[in-house]
Amino acid sequence: MSKKLYLCSRNNANSSFKSMHKTSIAALFAVPLFLVSCIPAEDPNTECDIEAVSLHFETPTDVFYHDYDTLQTVISTETAIEFIIRSYANVQSVPTTLRITPDATVFIKSADGTDIPFRNGSAVDFSDEKVQRFRVVSEDKMWSRDYSIAILHEAPNEGNLFFDFETYALDASGKYYVWETSDVFTDGTWKNGNPGFKISKSSAQPLDYPSTPVAGGGPDGSACVKLETCDTGPFGKMVNMRLASGSMFNGIFDVGNALTDALKATQFGTPFLHKPVMLRVWLRFEPGSVFQDRDGNVVEGVIDEPDVYVVLYRNEDAEGNRVQLDGNDVLSSPYIIGLGRLPHHYNADGTDQLSANPIHGLTNEWQEVTIPVNYKSEPDPVILQNKGYSLIIGFASSWGGAHFKGAIGSKYYIDNAQLFCE
Amino acid sequence: MKNRILALALLLSACTFLQAKQSQPSTSKEEAWEKWGPTAGLKSGGFLVRAGYVIGGTTPLPLPAEVRKINGFRPRGGVSLGIDGYRMFSKRWGISAGAHFFWEGFHTDADVKNYYVWLEQEGEITKGYFTGTNVTNTEMWGVTLPLLATFRMSPRWNVSAGPYLSLYFDQTFSGEVFDNSKGIGYLREDKPTGTKILMSRENPTPYPDNFPEKMQPVAVGIEVAFDWKTMKHMNVFGLLDWGMTDIWDRNFEAITFKMYPIYATLGVAYRY
Repeated sequence: MSKKLYLCSRNNANSSFKSMHKTSIAALFAVPLFLVSCIPAEDPNTECDIEAVSLHFETPTDVFYHDYDTLQTVISTETAIEFIIRSYANVQSVPTTLRITPDATVFIKSADGTDIPFRNGSAVDFSDEKVQRFRVVSEDKMWSRDYSIAILHEAPNEGNLFFDFETYALDASGKYYVWETSDVFTDGTWKNGNPGFKISKSSAQPLDYPSTPVAGGGPDGSACVKLETCDTGPFGKMVNMRLASGSMFNGIFDVGNALTDALKATQFGTPFLHKPVMLRVWLRFEPGSVFQDRDGNVVEGVIDEPDVYVVLYRNEDAEGNRVQLDGNDVLSSPYIIGLGRLPHHYNADGTDQLSANPIHGLTNEWQEVTIPVNYKSEPDPVILQNKGYSLIIGFASSWGGAHFKGAIGSKYYIDNAQLFCE
Repeated sequence: MKNRILALALLLSACTFLQAKQSQPSTSKEEAWEKWGPTAGLKSGGFLVRAGYVIGGTTPLPLPAEVRKINGFRPRGGVSLGIDGYRMFSKRWGISAGAHFFWEGFHTDADVKNYYVWLEQEGEITKGYFTGTNVTNTEMWGVTLPLLATFRMSPRWNVSAGPYLSLYFDQTFSGEVFDNSKGIGYLREDKPTGTKILMSRENPTPYPDNFPEKMQPVAVGIEVAFDWKTMKHMNVFGLLDWGMTDIWDRNFEAITFKMYPIYATLGVAYRY
């Protein structure tokens, strides 16, 4: 029981009492309304996040590829924070600033395991890829989160990449599958909408998710990936996101944006040192029977289509700011210089033409598809060497899935993708 | 509980206060009793047909600390039509019973912090701690059946108090959550360290439409009514229905605190 509320009520009662002889009725009715106006004292915060990490370097580009690489915003699901530096760069102690939940406290773990209060701006030893551990404790002291921060050298990369989708496991929550991939990609994992699907369909089993592995399902008898357009259930309907296309891409999936701005949740691409020229991949597709629009209305005469694309885009604007493509502009951004995609019908303005005559040529039988990357302009070799371009490889079981259009039950199987670079 | 005691104390003090005020010259007093109603020893009864405007809200008491700011409050509906029969046993005491048909409700817009929500729809569950703006709209149609003791404080003033039973014919309870005026709006899934899912007013998240199914069809409370005789057959009245039972089913987990309907009616009554 809040003491403040009690005092507040009593004061109101007194004032009502004084005017009773004039407006006894009105005063009595005012009581519940006054009660409503009594707000109890605020409880201490319960959250304890690192929201952003900033490293201080005199000349950031001696170590990083971009000035903006010294600052990382941390999404709420992430606790292992990694900064990637040039292969030849060396760092020692780095002044580090953490932005944490207001009124929370942060500690750094010393070598002997004790928590030492961390002061922003103090130097942290990140030499030899040392992993430093931090603990954030909430204002109410009831909650804490452990984080690790490390500065790592970039993974060596010859350019050509091969993805067999054989290495997968359940995520930490045990609800859905995650796939390991080349270290070139962020976190060394493929990203997809599974974390978003988990919010809408808590009852779903791991193999009910839009992106799942199929052991022994590949053309060579090994595991392949199945992307399926799934019904998001009552909660999806509630927020007007009735279906989830199965997806697979490299970059970041920020599930925090899944409800407010789903197109922003998919942040495509990873800085890349080479010029991709072609993707060769085994595909198989079976469209769902009923195509629906965002509002769930059946659209007659349209057959759902899958998507696969390879994009190379400039990841820095003229002022040196980060350029990050997301679902809004992954195929239309002016920063794109190279694009390869499964053939589709388009309208004159470049938007997708919903069609009953798909031209992608995929069937329910496995086939190897070659997708050349076409360049608007040649990549600048100096920019390329400095990771000034980012590579996207993306797959989706419904090509309108980003806008929640498609056919529930469309199944798209993928295996053995090979990216060829110049 | 403190608030209920407080309301009761308030009511009692109002009665004594008004009674004290009536000790005026005795001749005019007798005339007044004669003019406005039954005098000592006379048993009488009658009917009151009431029409009123209803204003109030359904609220947790006391307000939980999760509620940080009420941005707006607006009544919805707000009509009451009823009939009461009364019987006086003495100059001052009697009883009354009646039926008041009502349509009442409200809209609120409140900023909340760390507000636990537990939403269940067709077996799917979303739960966690919400910080941001919460808008609620509710409307209720029903009938309230009061059984009151009536006390004549003065020739023209009556106060009645007693329990009531409300039966709801239909109830709606809808709303949505989004970011507050500072742009802060998010759910921490499961626990304060869980996934932070942003909410915005461009794409607000509505309450599930099954909330009304979780509402109790009946409510019990205390009614207090003040009647003032303005003309021979006309009363002006004000009454308060203070619900003592939670509006939600006991097993409803979406809202962790109990909420009580507290509605006042102001109106006129025709006296037979």
